[in-house]
Amino acid sequence: MTGDSRALAELLEESQDLQADALRPTRDALDELVETGHARRDDDPEVSRAFHEEHTRALTASLSGAALLGAAGGAVLVGALASAASASSPSDVQILQTAASIENLAVATYKTALTLPYIGGSSANPVVTKFAQVTMGQHAQHADAFNAAAKSLGGKAQTKPDPAFVPVVNKAVASLGSASATQGALGVVGLAMELENIAAETYVKDTVLAKKASNKALFASVMGIEAQHVSVLLAVQALLKAGAPQLISLSPGTAASLPAAAGSLGFPNAFYKTNSAAPAAQGAVK
Amino acid sequence: MSEDTEHTFEGSGSELRAMTMELDELHHDMGMPAMNGALSQMRGTSRRTFLMGAGAAVTGGAVLAVVGSGTLPALAGASTRRLSAADAAFPPPGLKGDLAVAAVAVSLENLAVFAYAAGLAAATAGKLGTVPPAVATFATTVKAQHQQHADAWNAVLKSNGKAPVTVTNPTLTPTVQADFAQVTDVTGLAQLAITLETIAAQTYQAETTMLESSAAIELSSSIQPVEMQHIAILYYVLGMYPGAQTSSGTPLAFNPTSMAV
Repeated sequence: MTGDSRALAELLEESQDLQADALRPTRDALDELVETGHARRDDDPEVSRAFHEEHTRALTASLSGAALLGAAGGAVLVGALASAASASSPSDVQILQTAASIENLAVATYKTALTLPYIGGSSANPVVTKFAQVTMGQHAQHADAFNAAAKSLGGKAQTKPDPAFVPVVNKAVASLGSASATQGALGVVGLAMELENIAAETYVKDTVLAKKASNKALFASVMGIEAQHVSVLLAVQALLKAGAPQLISLSPGTAASLPAAAGSLGFPNAFYKTNSAAPAAQGAVK
Repeated sequence: MSEDTEHTFEGSGSELRAMTMELDELHHDMGMPAMNGALSQMRGTSRRTFLMGAGAAVTGGAVLAVVGSGTLPALAGASTRRLSAADAAFPPPGLKGDLAVAAVAVSLENLAVFAYAAGLAAATAGKLGTVPPAVATFATTVKAQHQQHADAWNAVLKSNGKAPVTVTNPTLTPTVQADFAQVTDVTGLAQLAITLETIAAQTYQAETTMLESSAAIELSSSIQPVEMQHIAILYYVLGMYPGAQTSSGTPLAFNPTSMAV
C-alpha cells in the first residue's frame, strides 16, 4: 500500500502538471467551436422537450427506487449544492450546461467524500484516496471544458450542480455520519458510482443529441473516462463487500489473489446503456 | 440506482460467481436495443469513406484470420488462411459511408475475439505460465462482449443486404500476430490486449463525429465506453492506474484518438 500511495501521489502530481496537455484535444475542439459555434442556432425546442420527457421518466424511475447508500451517518453537502441549476436555452448549450452541472455535482461529492476519514483520512485505503483525488480533478476539467464550449456558443457557464440529483446526494451524504469505516466507504463508493454512471450514460446519449461535431467529440472524449470510473468503483465495491479491502491495491501481484469473478465485474454490459441519462435541459442555466 | 450497478454481496466466492453467470444474460438483454435501433435506421447511402484510407489499406498477401459468430478462433496458426490480394480488398468495394465503417468495426472486433481466444488457448496449453483466475474470467467475458459487438455491426450490414464481415482487420492482423508470438506470460498478453482495446475505443470515439446515421453513432457510442472499461481493468491487473493515461502512466481526463484507425 505504501508503494501504491507513493506511485499514485506521483501520478496525481504529474496529472496536475499535465492538465494543460490533457486539455489540448478539448482546446482544439473549442477552437472549432469558435469557428462554427455561431453558424447554426437551429436547436429544436420540440426535440429537446421530447427528449426531456422521455428521459425524465427513465431517470425518475431509476433514482426513486435507488438505495444510493446502504450506510448510515455523514456530512451534508453545502455551499455548492445549496443552490441548484435549472433549465432553458438552445439544445447544444443546454446539454453542455447540463453536463457541467453533473460534473459540478461530482466534484462537490468527491470533495466532501475526501473529508471523511475512511476516504481521505488516515484510515482510508490509499488507492481509494488517490482515485478520489484524481477523479475529482478530472471532473473539474470536464466541467471547465463543457462550460468553455457552452460559452463559445454564446451560453453561460454552469457553475451549479444538477438540481435533480442534489437532494439525492445530500440525503445520501447526510446518512454517513455514524457509519463504520467499511459501511461509510461502501456508501461513498455506491454514491460515486451512481453519479459516474449517470455522467457516462448522459454523454453517450449526448454524442447523438449534440448538433456540433466538436461537441460530439468532446462528449465522446469524456464518456469513456466516466465509464472507467464506474468500472473501478464496481471493482472496489465488490472487494469491499467481499471483505477483501486488501485487494484494493495496485501492486502487480494483486491480480493473482483476486477471485475469478472479479475479472468481469467492471463491465457488466456489452453495450453501454442510456436509460439513466440526464435529460438534456435538466442542468441548463435558467 | 440503476439495476446493473446494484449488487449485494454475501460472500466473495459464490456471489461473484453468480454475478458472472448473470453477465451472459445481461449481454444479450442490453445489446439488443442498440442493435435493433441500428438495424432499423442505418442505411448505406453515405458518400463518406471513413476508415477506408491508409489505415485500412491492405497489401497483397496479408494474413487475415477468419472468424465468425459462433466460432471459437484458435491460435493464429490454426485459424488463419492466407488470402490473395484479390480477396483482400477491405472494406469490400460495395460498402460505402457508414456501412464501410461498420465493416471496419467488425474487423476490429473480430481481431479482439481472435486475440483473446488465442490468449485463452495459450493459457490452457500452459504457454503463459500461471494465469490468475480473474484474468481467465476477464478474457472469457471480454471475448464474448467483443463477439456481441461484431454481431451487432454485422447485423447492420446484413439488414442492408451486405455480407457479414468474418475477417480480422487486415492492417492490424500481421502486427498482432507478430506481437502475440512474443507473448510469454499474462503481463505480455494484457499489454497486447490494452493496445487492441485502445485502438477499438479510440476508433469508436473518432467515429462519433464521422458517422452520419444517428443510429450508427448510438451503436458506436454504446460500445466505446465498454472498451474503455476493459482497458481500466487491464491496467488494474497490471498494477497500473486503472484509467486512460499517457505512455508514462499519467491519468488523462480526456481520451485521445491518436490510435484510432
